[in-house]
Order: sequence, then structure tokens, then C-alpha cells
Amino acid sequence: MAANGHTLKAFDEELEDLRSAVAEMGRLARLAIRDSMQALTTRDTELAATVVERDRHIDGLESEVERRAISIMALRAPLANDLREVVAALKISGVVERIGDYAKNIAKRVPGIENTKIAPLSLLPEMADAAASMVADALDAFAARDGAKAAMVLERDQVVDNFYNSIFRALLTFMMENPHNITPAAHLLFIAKHLERIGDHATNIAEMVYFAETGEHLPDRARGGEPGAAFAG
Amino acid sequence: MNDVSASLPIVDRAAVVAEPPSERPIKIAVRNLDFHYGKVHALKSVNLPIAERQVTAIIGPSGCGKSTLLRALNRIYELYPDQHATGEIAVDGENILAKGYSLSRLRRRVGMVFQKPTPFATSIRNNVGFALKFYEKLGRADMDERIESALRQAALWDEVKDRLNASALSLSGGQQQRLCIARTIAIRPEIILLDEPTSALDPIATAKIEELVHELSQSFTIVIVTHNMQQAGRVSEQTAFFHLGELIEFGPTSRIFTNPIENRTKDYITGRYG
Repeated sequence: MAANGHTLKAFDEELEDLRSAVAEMGRLARLAIRDSMQALTTRDTELAATVVERDRHIDGLESEVERRAISIMALRAPLANDLREVVAALKISGVVERIGDYAKNIAKRVPGIENTKIAPLSLLPEMADAAASMVADALDAFAARDGAKAAMVLERDQVVDNFYNSIFRALLTFMMENPHNITPAAHLLFIAKHLERIGDHATNIAEMVYFAETGEHLPDRARGGEPGAAFAG
Repeated sequence: MNDVSASLPIVDRAAVVAEPPSERPIKIAVRNLDFHYGKVHALKSVNLPIAERQVTAIIGPSGCGKSTLLRALNRIYELYPDQHATGEIAVDGENILAKGYSLSRLRRRVGMVFQKPTPFATSIRNNVGFALKFYEKLGRADMDERIESALRQAALWDEVKDRLNASALSLSGGQQQRLCIARTIAIRPEIILLDEPTSALDPIATAKIEELVHELSQSFTIVIVTHNMQQAGRVSEQTAFFHLGELIEFGPTSRIFTNPIENRTKDYITGRYG
């Protein structure tokens, strides 16, 4: 991308502010994933409540990004890579807001599994790390205007999908063993599905970043697909 | 597993420069055009296909050669002794730069509208009929019909039909510019050159001219020089970006403004130039 700035310095500053707001949304979303998983593994309902409460900040930032993007489009009439970047910021903020909602929903399920010991639970934090790192890298690629880095995020979606398929199988077995396990296992299944969706959303962000930086869409074969058909819901 | 970037599509620059300009037949083929103002080399080996009955926008910073290209397309430069063009400008296959090509014939085929409205200090009727009288021997009724038709095509008729004998100078700036367009199209040219036709007009008059340009492109091949990027985006199908006398990039307007290939084009349209 162009190393030199715009003749209008204020335009550069506005674009930078827009990117900062998206980056801050990403930071909060990752924090929400981390803390919701922390609350889940330690059965910390207080921390879970904090995650739910903090989601409002992410929602507020989404509105802020929307306001700034519309203002830039109206007042600066951005073109070419600038236009693609503003549109990407707008779309990415919507996706990050969804990621925050998934983290919030994970936190909300913590009380439902408070007193349960379930083996597949051990896989979930690992899966969450994989999904959260995809989100982090996709947003870092946006911050660094790095299309190649964004493209690398895509292949990792398969890792998250594999986790999901393993957890699905394990939870199914667990439920069959004892009907009393069904309620907590169903909660965990939803949590696994949320993490799988977070991975998909990170993939979408990466695709948006790639398009914003290069003006080209990634070829289909490089795009993330649905997880194994047998368990995909 | 990680080297996805190696398999990513790489834009073939040569292919983009050579991409077909449009589905339409080529009306004007500029080939290896060089232009000199004395010792100043103002256009450097320009190759540009201009499609028939479409709007082609020429953009670029001051001094890039935009207006020079228009001056070459209608040979207006011949009025000045030390200006000359070499190469070829083929209109429907005929080289208009060739020695034997009559200037009067060229003027009949190529009309031009300038930055500032240039109405003659006479009536509205006479302004539109002026060139018609020179080119065609028409009876009064035919003449009136042609004048009305030109004014209608220029979207001015309803505003002036009751005062055709009033002075053209009594019209507003936007009306004067539409009058100049009416005067240009009265002789039914094939090509209309517009040199920043709205730079002296307010936004409403500008919108009317832009709408008019769009309408006229159904019947005429239009080349418009503009400093206003949004205007180029709004009115043209094809855009050519010039810089320091060279054609840097040419292609569909929608692509040029969303995904230009050349860094110089990108820097210019995004406001990073200079």
C-alpha cells in the first residue's frame, strides 16, 4: 500500500481513528473469549457476569465505527484502497460484534454447568485459544494492512473445525452414558459450536482484509468451508 | 500448509493494460500519439481506444496532457505555429491527422465544449443556428426544427422556448453551458469533447449537465476531461489516467476507482498525489 499519506492530513487521522476503533473492538472481543473460558473452567460465575456486562462496550464501539465510516464516506468520498478499507472496517466491526455476542453467550452458560465434571471440557480451552488466535491474527492483519497474513488465517479454520468434531463426538458419548449429563453436555455443545462459529467469523474477517488490501477476492479453494458434514449444524 | 500466499492470484499488469476497453466498437483509435509545444513533449506515445457512444473520462493532475489530448482530437492546435502532433488518430479508421484530412470535415464530426460557457453575444436562436447555417442550407421551418431539437437534446428547451430571441448572455451560467452543448450538437457531430464543462457551475447546474452527458452518450461518443474524480465516476464508462504526458492506466471506470492497478493512479485518485 502507499507509503505516503494523503495531501489532506485530517483524512489520514480519520482513517487511523477508524482502524483504532476496530482494533479496540478486537481487543475487547478477545478478552471476552478468554474471560468467558476462564469463567467456564473455574466455574467463576462472577467473572462470567462481568463478561456479559462488558459486551455493551463492544456494541458501543460498533456504533462508533459505523458513525465514523459513514462520516468518512460522506465527507471524504474515499476511493480505491481507501474505500475498500472503510467498507472493510464497517463490515469487520459487525463481525467482531457477533464474536462478542458468542463470548457473552458462553459466559451466560457458566451457571448451567457449575457442578459438573465432564472430560471433554478439557478440550474446550484449547479450541478457544485456536479460535481466539485466529481472531487476533485476522485483526492484526487489518491493522498492518497485510493481505498475505490475512490469507494465512484461513487454513487454521480447519483446526478449529476438527476440535469441534472431536468434542461433538465426545459429548454425544457422554450424554448416552447417563441422561443426567444431557443438560450440561448440551450447554458445552453450544459452547463448542460458538467457538466453531468464532473461527468462521475470523475467517470472514481475514477474507475482508485480503480484499481490502489487494482488491481481489481469495480463490474459493483457499476459503474456509463448513466443518465435517456429519456434525455440522 | 502455511504458504497460502504463494498460491494467491497475482494480478497480471500486462493483461490489465491490454484489457478490452468495452464491448462497443472503437470510434477513435489514438495510436503512438506524440505532441509537442515547441520543445515541450506534452504527450508521449499515447495509445488509447475510445469506444463508440460511451463516455470516456480523462483524468490526471494539471499539466498531465488531458487538455492537450482534446486539442489533438479536434486539431485546434493547428492555429499555433510551433505546436504539432505526430502519430495517428483514427476516427472510424480514417487518420484525422493526415495532411489531406479537411479541417471543416473534422469540425463537422467533432464538437467541443469548453470550461467556461462561451455563448456568442447574440440571441439564443442565433447561437444554436450559427454553425448550422455554415454547414447546411436549411429553410426557415427546417432551421427552427433543428434548433428546437438541439435545445431539447440539451435539456434547455423548456427554459428558453418563450424567449429564443433574447440574448444568450441573459441566461444563467448553467443554461449558457447547456446552450453551448446545444450549439455543438445542432450540427449533429459524432464526437463531443468536453473540457471540464462544469468547473464553473454550481452543484445543481452540474447535476443537470451530468445527466445530459449521460443522455447524450446514447447518440454521441463523448470524451470528457475533468478534475472532479466523483464526476468522472458518475458520468463515464471508461477512464484514462494521464501523468506527465503518459497514459498510465486505462480501463472501466468502476475498476479504476475501486481497484486501480498502477500506484500512480491509486495515489492520484485517493488524494495522495504530490
